[in-house]
Amino acid sequence: MLLTCVLIVLGTCALSPVLSRLLGRNAGWALALPLLGVAAALAVIGTSEQHVSWMPTLGIGFTLQLDGLSLLFSLLVLVIGAGVLAYSARYLGAGRHTGFYALMTAFAAAMLVLVLADDVVLLFVAWEMTTLCSFLLIGRTGSHARASAVRTLLVTAMGGLALLSAVAVMVVTTGTTRLSVILEHGMWGEGGAATVAVTILLAVAAFTKSAQFPFQAWLPDSMVAITPVSAYLHAAAMVKAGIYLLLRFSPALAGDTLWMSLLVTAGLITALLGAVSALKRTDLKELLAYSTISQLGLLVTMIGVGTEASLTAATAHTLAHALFKAALFMLVGVIDHRTGTRDVRTLAKLRVRMPATVTALAVAALSMAGLPPMLGFVSKEGMLAAFLEVPGPLWVSVVVTAAAAVASVFTFAYAFRMIIGARGGKEGPVVTEDNPFLWIVPALAAAAGLVLGLVPFILDGLVSGAATAAAGAGIDAHLALWHGINLPLTISLAVFAIGTVLVVARMPIDQYLKDRAFPFSALGVVDAIQARTIAIGGRIGAVTGTTSPRRHLAMAVLGVSTIAAVGVVVAPELPPILGESFRAIDLVLLLMVGTAAVAAMRANTRVAAIVVVSVVGFSMTLWFFLLGAADVALTQLLVEILTVVVMVLLLRRLPLDFSTPTRRRKVPAFAIAIAAGLSATVGVWALTGRRELSEAGEFYLTEGPDRTGGANIVNTILVDFRAMDTFGELAVLGIAGISIAVLVRSRLLAPARRVHIDASSPLQDPIENAVFTRTLARALRPAVIIASVLLLLRGHQEPGGGFISALVAGAGIALLYLAAPTDREARIRWPYIAFIGSGILIAVGAGLLGYLEGSFLTPLKVDVFGYSLTTALVFDVGVYMGVLGVIVTALNLLGLPRPHEKPVIDEEILVDPSHREEVST
Amino acid sequence: MSVAITVGILVTAAVYLMLKPEMLRIVLGFVMLSHAANLLLMASGGVSRREEPFGTHEAASEVADPLPQAFVLTAIVIAFSITIFMLVLAVTGRDEDDDTSTPVAEGADYDADHLPGGLPGPWTPRRPRSRKSKQEGPS
Repeated sequence: MLLTCVLIVLGTCALSPVLSRLLGRNAGWALALPLLGVAAALAVIGTSEQHVSWMPTLGIGFTLQLDGLSLLFSLLVLVIGAGVLAYSARYLGAGRHTGFYALMTAFAAAMLVLVLADDVVLLFVAWEMTTLCSFLLIGRTGSHARASAVRTLLVTAMGGLALLSAVAVMVVTTGTTRLSVILEHGMWGEGGAATVAVTILLAVAAFTKSAQFPFQAWLPDSMVAITPVSAYLHAAAMVKAGIYLLLRFSPALAGDTLWMSLLVTAGLITALLGAVSALKRTDLKELLAYSTISQLGLLVTMIGVGTEASLTAATAHTLAHALFKAALFMLVGVIDHRTGTRDVRTLAKLRVRMPATVTALAVAALSMAGLPPMLGFVSKEGMLAAFLEVPGPLWVSVVVTAAAAVASVFTFAYAFRMIIGARGGKEGPVVTEDNPFLWIVPALAAAAGLVLGLVPFILDGLVSGAATAAAGAGIDAHLALWHGINLPLTISLAVFAIGTVLVVARMPIDQYLKDRAFPFSALGVVDAIQARTIAIGGRIGAVTGTTSPRRHLAMAVLGVSTIAAVGVVVAPELPPILGESFRAIDLVLLLMVGTAAVAAMRANTRVAAIVVVSVVGFSMTLWFFLLGAADVALTQLLVEILTVVVMVLLLRRLPLDFSTPTRRRKVPAFAIAIAAGLSATVGVWALTGRRELSEAGEFYLTEGPDRTGGANIVNTILVDFRAMDTFGELAVLGIAGISIAVLVRSRLLAPARRVHIDASSPLQDPIENAVFTRTLARALRPAVIIASVLLLLRGHQEPGGGFISALVAGAGIALLYLAAPTDREARIRWPYIAFIGSGILIAVGAGLLGYLEGSFLTPLKVDVFGYSLTTALVFDVGVYMGVLGVIVTALNLLGLPRPHEKPVIDEEILVDPSHREEVST
Repeated sequence: MSVAITVGILVTAAVYLMLKPEMLRIVLGFVMLSHAANLLLMASGGVSRREEPFGTHEAASEVADPLPQAFVLTAIVIAFSITIFMLVLAVTGRDEDDDTSTPVAEGADYDADHLPGGLPGPWTPRRPRSRKSKQEGPS
């Protein structure tokens, strides 16, 4: 049922573009109806809850719950929303307002989900949705509103992050995302670090949303939005989300010292700051904005006090505030609509003859001022009564009541300034009443404030329900206009008296306030913080903000080394190393790698560097053999050979020597390298070899051969068990091959160095000097082909497989290539790119066959003439083709002279115009 | 222990080479780093069991863990193709295979006034240094 309500509002949002197209601005009326309908439905349903599975694996549900508090806020969101939409139908100009209506209804939907959510993750999502909706609604007003919209977003999104952090801590601490369960969890009373963190984070989130000090700046700033948006933001949506959050967590946190001091301090500062600022405004809309801040401050204070009486007053005042604030905003909009100004100084030069609008405005403003018999008076009496009984030392109660009374004095003063200002002057052009359809909605809201003030007891049920949910204990509230002559009434009378003085003496006060501006504006602070944040980000980014790979690498390496150093200090006791991790023969390899590594670091020429690094590579081959990885060792050996071949092919395009670095460069580089090496050694030593065989490894060893029919377990992992991984790797290989081709074809290769050879030297003639290689190659050619095919076929049982056999074939091709007397003869006339493609296609085909037995890449077994064959072999053929294609691509594209180049040695070979086409095949 | 030391030696040499300006040294550093990574992967399966995994085995035997081996096998081939790709980069494009560092954002030399709408403006390069240590390739 609740879900249906949410879906209806969402559906309204989805329908809004169509309605807007059909009805133009009148769509506002049509869109208001479903919202009112849902509001009525929710009022009838009463307490209920509904759970819809959303992310079951994470335990996050689309859980909705309707209790008294949710009902009060739902009604505000929906009824005020409907009112604003209806008002917009005349406030907006004729024509379509698709974006506005879509966003407003989306805003209402987000707010509805927010107040109904019984899952903290859902609550957070809805919270962020309201942030985004308000950002878009403010931002769409025009280019002048962009800066304000961004500031609003930055402040409120920061609050969103605070809420997200609070949600994370709560979920981790309590182990559930259900809000109602979290609220009853034992974490709240304990006062542990998690609870303190959650308390602060929730307060920050609510303060940003409800524009509480020190996050109040965005609210007046967002006044650039059009009046209906402001009315909704201030009365029922956005800022009320913060109040809702505080009330929602009140049962768990009320009475907590930290919670109370945070809320009461921020609330009272905000209330006073907002009220004083409002008094200084001449623009009626701005005045209302500061008034909202002030009223929200009082609400936050009430929630912070946290007694049953104060929570009851808070819920009643939320309702009263929503009514008079919505009415006032819309009525100021009417005046603005009619006169073209909202400034009391300009209005004073007009004769405003708008009896309905001004009367309604006066009624709403009296409610704001807290005068009887308005609803605002009822809620304010409740507030004062609650403040007089704040638990704890007496001075707290005195301070809170005094501050609230002072704020009320200012409220009284600015409320009457509004009424006086809206009446206009005695001279100037006459402005007459606007279309009744425009002012009827706010007039109704204002009238509601009056009627409900006269008969407040009809709200008893609603307020009791909300207060019960907020206090976590049964509250039976009785709202009444007359409580007899008591202390709150006396305070109220004093407030009215001083307020009247302020109104009468407004001219000198204006003069006084004018000269005393605040030393800094909150908006300036926000801008400064923003600029400073960006500057700090720039400074941090500058450390690696360079195109030099060295600086990037140095930073990363230093970071990892720091982690390693910290790890050494704080490491827990490690389990013992299992088995012997050192054998005598290891020493030989250690020496080989060590010597070659030192030589690689010291090498001054490119040839030398390549040679010593390949010594490291061949040592790695031995390492893998020693560690019992025959296939890996074979692969390493072949790859090393081919790497050296490719490097030699490119060597002639690079200078001979490396640059010699200065000492200033060398020493830090060496220090960083040593730090990295030490970290690596410590990491490997500390984190490996301290456990038994992994479960996966055990499974492959004990079950692998039986399940796949292959004895070479490593190969069965590649083509049977984890074929999808291998398939992905094959794709990466193919992409690398194609990228190489694209790079070579689209960019010029560096020119080859001229080689100076003595003409009389026997090395001069390529045919003679390659005779040895050629003879060897001729003899080896059939052997290589046979070996390659054999390795491919037997790969499932013995060392071999697609990777290794393709590398063998590639090594054979490299040999042929080196043996060729001229570049032209060396060319391999294979469509290597097609090779890569067909390799991947074959692998895909083998994978698709797997669907016959269940899933992609499941190997099928077929018996052919007594031999058991599996489609894993087909897959391996695909791997073979792909790898071979990449090797041939590299050899062909890098070894041959480019079409624009002159051949280096065989001068007689002319540029073959057909070459390009062949490369492309 | 011996594997841990080997990894350390390889990483030291790799990082040292990668901190050099020439692309070829960076590529060689990358090759050594991939050796180190592969050896680390092997170590993750434990290096005390060193028999080759062929045929069916009992869990308690001295046979090496085959899973890291499969990972390393493909890692070697992928590192190979990336190496070739990096080598091609070394000989194409820019005039030299060593880097001339252009600081993209050195310091914060901008203020809020130049950020309309409060959005971060594009970082403009300042003082583009062209510190060519040694020309390589076409001049």
